[in-house]
Amino acid sequence: MRQRRPVRLLLYAIAIVTSAIMIGPLYWMLATSFKPPGDVFASPPKWIPDPWTLANYHDVFTLLPFGRFFINSVIVTLSIVAVNILFDTAAAYAFAKLRFPGRDFLFFLLLITLMVPFQVNLIPLFRIMVALHHVSPYLGVNTYFGLIAPSAIQVFGIFLLRQYIRSIPDEILDSARVDGASEFKILRKIVFPLALPGIATLAIFTFLSAWNDFLWPLIVTQTDQMRTLPVGLALLARKQEINWGDTMAGTVITALPMIAVFLVLQRRFIEGLTSGAIR
Amino acid sequence: MVKAAARETTATAPRGPAAAPVMRRLRRRFRGSGSGYVLVLPAMLAAIAFLYVPMALSAYWSFTDFNGLLPPRWVGLANYRELAADPLFLQAVRNTAVFVLLAQGIGPVLGLASAALLNNKLRFRGLFRTAYFIPVMTSLVVVATIWKMLLNSNGLVNVIFGYLHLPTTSWLSNPSTALPSVIAASVWQGFGFETVIFLAAMQAIPREYYEAAMVDGANAWGRFRHVTLPGLRRTIIFVYVIGIIQASQVFDQVFVMTQGGPIESTNTVVNELINRFNSLQLGQASAIAYLLAVVLAFVSFVQIRVFERRD
Repeated sequence: MRQRRPVRLLLYAIAIVTSAIMIGPLYWMLATSFKPPGDVFASPPKWIPDPWTLANYHDVFTLLPFGRFFINSVIVTLSIVAVNILFDTAAAYAFAKLRFPGRDFLFFLLLITLMVPFQVNLIPLFRIMVALHHVSPYLGVNTYFGLIAPSAIQVFGIFLLRQYIRSIPDEILDSARVDGASEFKILRKIVFPLALPGIATLAIFTFLSAWNDFLWPLIVTQTDQMRTLPVGLALLARKQEINWGDTMAGTVITALPMIAVFLVLQRRFIEGLTSGAIR
Repeated sequence: MVKAAARETTATAPRGPAAAPVMRRLRRRFRGSGSGYVLVLPAMLAAIAFLYVPMALSAYWSFTDFNGLLPPRWVGLANYRELAADPLFLQAVRNTAVFVLLAQGIGPVLGLASAALLNNKLRFRGLFRTAYFIPVMTSLVVVATIWKMLLNSNGLVNVIFGYLHLPTTSWLSNPSTALPSVIAASVWQGFGFETVIFLAAMQAIPREYYEAAMVDGANAWGRFRHVTLPGLRRTIIFVYVIGIIQASQVFDQVFVMTQGGPIESTNTVVNELINRFNSLQLGQASAIAYLLAVVLAFVSFVQIRVFERRD
């Protein structure tokens, strides 16, 4: 289906212009983060920072503990991904391959929650976390537990992995059972490796949503020491209405890790997202 | 078969007082239904603590005057009645409806158009796809912060609009442009997701369908209309269900870009919910959350119904 030459040129022109609209703002973020304050809204605009400076990056780390935000985001995101892989694979295997009374009813109960938006749970979760904080200083509001625990269950993940695990032939599992393997061993040695593409998809979805999550971390954290990157950035943007150089330095720090991970793992990301969607 | 046999022996085995047979029986039992319960237990416990209990609590609170300090007092439907007559909340509903309609009217169509564009076997297709997709990976807070700068009265948007002789304004402090600006930033962030999904779905449509359409003399539009679109039916349902559900919960962009202003012109339902949470009107905030939940459940129900009927 090759078009005539002018048509193809037009298609290229559209693709290039739209790509510029997508990349332009990201470039402007990067460029602004290296500009001295006077150059941010210079007229005509300075397309390339000249002179350029690292002062904004220095400022941003002294204004707010961005290093700490980064560490918090890493800890919270990796924990959420790990807990989800563990819980969701176990539950998905049981729902897909084991027979026990009430199985389908329990699964149905879980599926119903997919209809309920997070905002319904937000206020009670906050109250629960406040109460838990009175039990132990390591639980509840303004703790890693508080940031991680509500994301320990992802019904969508169980649903997704169940689809993958159902496609594993029963004969493989049965022969392992005949050999005396426990269900836990079967889960670890057979189901986990065979469901790995599905688990990778789940890990990608979870990583993305946990790293970029905003509403819950905003509500459950109370001191700068516990903020994650998006929350820290939003507070910086409010604090520093005037100095866009500093704000853009914070934005680069927040955006760059995710963009870097994506550029390295691009094919996996896109395959993971689309395989979840097109199914 | 093996499993069923194992369960039967467990069930009919005589009960002895000795510990060893008990253990053996327990272990065998585990292999049947027991391990099923053990494996779903962590997920179910988390679901109870972080899904079912909160859902029940906020359902109850939505019928009370709960303020977080005094014990909740039952007020029946008063919260819902008050919301139905509250101009602030109704404004938030209108703004959210405009956001959903415009963002979902534009985003997926742009995604479909760019997928159709990239499906033309353009050279550097991967590069273009990456360009569209990068904003999807970055958080809404990042995107909102960047666009807040670009839309500043001295920002790059006004500079470029000036070059093109288009009208300029202080986009985010002008009540008639603030909401469209937030919508534009959101569409910019999100449509790459739809592009990638649609592109993958288009590539899964068998070539023979297109060849058959060519034989029948269909032009490019005809092939798109009668081969591509029907082939994307399921994907379109998926994209719209996800998209409408997400758009209805819009909050992050508003929090960063406008905080609901100017003069409530960008105040959304979730923003209003958070405002009432902050002012300790927890009963009303819970009622807002449940109204949102009911509307979203209804939307996905209607959508799935509508699309199923076309089969």
